[in-house]
Amino acid sequence: MNKQILTVMFKEIKDNLRDKKTVMSSIFMGAIFGPILLVVMMNAVSGMMKDKAEKQLELHVNGINNAKSFITFVKSQGAKVSSFSGDAKKAILDKDKEAILVIPSNFAEKFESGIPAEIQLYYDATAKGATNITQKRIKSLIKSYSRSIGMIRLQLRGISPSLLQAVTIEDHDVSTAESKGAQALAFLPYFLIMGLFMGSMYLAIDTMAGEKERNSLESLLLNPIKRSYLLTGKLLATISFGIITLFATLLTFKFTLPFMPFESMGINFNFGIKDMMLFAFLLAPLSIMAASLQTIIATFSKSFKEAQTYVSLLIFIPMIPSIILMMVPVKEKLWMMFVPILGQNLAINQILRGEPVSLLWFIAVAVGSLFVGLLLALLAIKLYNRESLLFSD
Amino acid sequence: MIEVKAVSKSFGDVKAVKEVTFTAPDHQVTALLGANGAGKTTTLRMIYALITPQTGEILIDGVNPKEHPEKARKLLGVLPDTRGLYKRLTARENIEYFGKLHGMSDADIKTRTEALVEDLRMHEFIDRKTDGFSQGQRVKVAIARALVHDPQNIILDEPTNGLDVMSTRGVRRFLKKEKQRGKCILFSSHVMQEVAAVSDEILIVSDGTIAAQGTQLELQQQTEKSNLEDAFVHIVTAGEDHE
Repeated sequence: MNKQILTVMFKEIKDNLRDKKTVMSSIFMGAIFGPILLVVMMNAVSGMMKDKAEKQLELHVNGINNAKSFITFVKSQGAKVSSFSGDAKKAILDKDKEAILVIPSNFAEKFESGIPAEIQLYYDATAKGATNITQKRIKSLIKSYSRSIGMIRLQLRGISPSLLQAVTIEDHDVSTAESKGAQALAFLPYFLIMGLFMGSMYLAIDTMAGEKERNSLESLLLNPIKRSYLLTGKLLATISFGIITLFATLLTFKFTLPFMPFESMGINFNFGIKDMMLFAFLLAPLSIMAASLQTIIATFSKSFKEAQTYVSLLIFIPMIPSIILMMVPVKEKLWMMFVPILGQNLAINQILRGEPVSLLWFIAVAVGSLFVGLLLALLAIKLYNRESLLFSD
Repeated sequence: MIEVKAVSKSFGDVKAVKEVTFTAPDHQVTALLGANGAGKTTTLRMIYALITPQTGEILIDGVNPKEHPEKARKLLGVLPDTRGLYKRLTARENIEYFGKLHGMSDADIKTRTEALVEDLRMHEFIDRKTDGFSQGQRVKVAIARALVHDPQNIILDEPTNGLDVMSTRGVRRFLKKEKQRGKCILFSSHVMQEVAAVSDEILIVSDGTIAAQGTQLELQQQTEKSNLEDAFVHIVTAGEDHE
């Protein structure tokens, strides 16, 4: 490679490595932020699910004495019953209780006459946390009580309760342990890509807007070096920080695996050296795109601060495919693999699900991202060649 | 030698430089003297090929910077108006970086840096990081960085702007020495004393043109004034300098 390009690249790397703030906020933070956030998220989700599913159900009932046989049934199912008096709606809105049952005084009368007797269930469907699990458990408890009473009534009249079941469902869930893991880890690609973006962000800002703010740009441009070489050197330094951060992120992820609640979630996910290399092969080409995009934005910025504001917003772009894929099931097609970020998301999810993926698709991911990255790099160089570069302030 | 022939440049509707012609020969210090905004910096930027002139031609030792910008820059050493250093690098590393970009060998860079440290008296701070340097120290490093390749033609834009007496004298002494070595030195300034102290030939720049040209004595005789400042005011106000 051209010696001048290397001179610029090594100068930028040395210059920025001396800034502890840059190293901390790019490589270190970039590498640990995503994986640690993922551990926290996964543990919170699994903890909440386990907690509510296994915890003894507690029923707050207004009018316990109006439905004695129901209360006996509920207790036999292992639920704890406590009497509640007061305004049920208010207690829910004040978040004092998650759910409240109100049994009207005419319950026994209706029940005995064979008319559907009602029990009122108060809850807030928009409440956060595990309220929905509690509410669903109460409903299924009431339904099973209702069904068992209904069956007894039919049998007393000499009718087989099975006549009520015209169709039965036999469950065949074909999901594997890996696919359950993939579902839970759908956001993993984003966290890995985020590290890569964070890693190159500071270099892009420092080498472009920083050079302007330090007033060193004019002197630099006076050297007998083509501007395209100058920018190539700066881009290479920026890309190298992105790639270093990517590898650090993958390593951190590997080390955080023991802290993931995989066992309790029934997930079987190994992340061996081979998987790691494969992930790196898929993700590394994105670093050219990330660095070029960040550099282009930094070129237009008047100051370090302005560049920082806009470049940090870029981090949210890679989130879009992750969110869409979480909500909408997508059948993978070859062309999608060529789309940067989308391709990485799909391919990594396939690996996580334990599905066989062809080498051709992996290469498509790498080639697509490389191509878009190089186009953006050329655009960055073209913008850097403008005469107005110096006078944009 | 730097030759400027009928060069013009406009930014939008504003004509910054209009048909400027002059020559800055070797073995001489040539000064562009003018008020702020007279067109000095734009003229210099065209010479070192950061801006392309709209008309006219510039030759640096016979090389046109518009056609061969890299070749022309090798013949030039420039201290521009903005002269920020890399704060996390030492003074020596700042100089080395530019030396490498000029394609110099490590040995050449080392020898040349030592000579510049000697001439500009930078012993005390050459191996310190430049963060926190005084204005004078910064200008010395910026000059050394600009001249690391020992160019024949030296351009300085307001070199002593903001410097104290000692640093100013240091820079002047350095320029005189470079002149004795046969260099072509072109600098811009708006400070009369400065221009009077070091320059052989003075070009008075006003409103994008060269309003007058000559030695200090010649300018004073032309305008029948006893000092350079009065001569300057007389020239740029076209004789209407009655207070």
